[in-house]
Amino acid sequence: MDVLPVDLDLRNATYRLFVGLGRAPTAAEAADATGATVGGVLDGWVRLHDAHALVLDASGTEIRMANPFSSVPTAFRVNADGRWWYANCAWDAFGICAALHVDGAIETRCPDCMRPLSIRVTDQQPDVGRLLFHCLVPARQWWDDIVFT
Amino acid sequence: MNLFRSEEHVQRWLGERAPGATVPVTVLSALAHFWWGDRLDPSWRPHSREQNQAILDRLGLVGDFWELA
Repeated sequence: MDVLPVDLDLRNATYRLFVGLGRAPTAAEAADATGATVGGVLDGWVRLHDAHALVLDASGTEIRMANPFSSVPTAFRVNADGRWWYANCAWDAFGICAALHVDGAIETRCPDCMRPLSIRVTDQQPDVGRLLFHCLVPARQWWDDIVFT
Repeated sequence: MNLFRSEEHVQRWLGERAPGATVPVTVLSALAHFWWGDRLDPSWRPHSREQNQAILDRLGLVGDFWELA
């Protein structure tokens, strides 16, 4: 799906704010940063959500995911660039290090035994090579319910 | 999309559910690099389906399970 240039600017500003603040920006904060109105930001966010360029929460007014970043606590914590982040899934946990272009540390749990897993990522390489990633949902269905995926 | 200690843990967690796909964490890390590495670039543009499918292909993530919508 094509994204309008004005929406790309909004999307990039939203991501910059997310990284700068360490959390999802509000529509008012995005409006201040871009010179748009709050209504204009919300309309743009809806278009970006429809284009899978970010994910809004159920209210349609707040950022739920600026993939790979999560705006809500999850089972995937990442320490990178001097801050703790939440990722949406294991893939996104590595994605936070990739997006920030930094080394990092991932903390999660094996969902079977619930024992903690700590992975250090250096130059894109995990220090625990024996772990396995399992993806339950086929790729063509990922966006049917991205929060579940 | 979770990380597991071993295949035994994957199978026990799945129980009666149909399995998805299991890949080594090293492949996952490479996938994340190619998929998310440009996400904060000022010149970022949405990946096309073809671009994303090519990322999966180059890492050997092929077959019906990995076919994007």
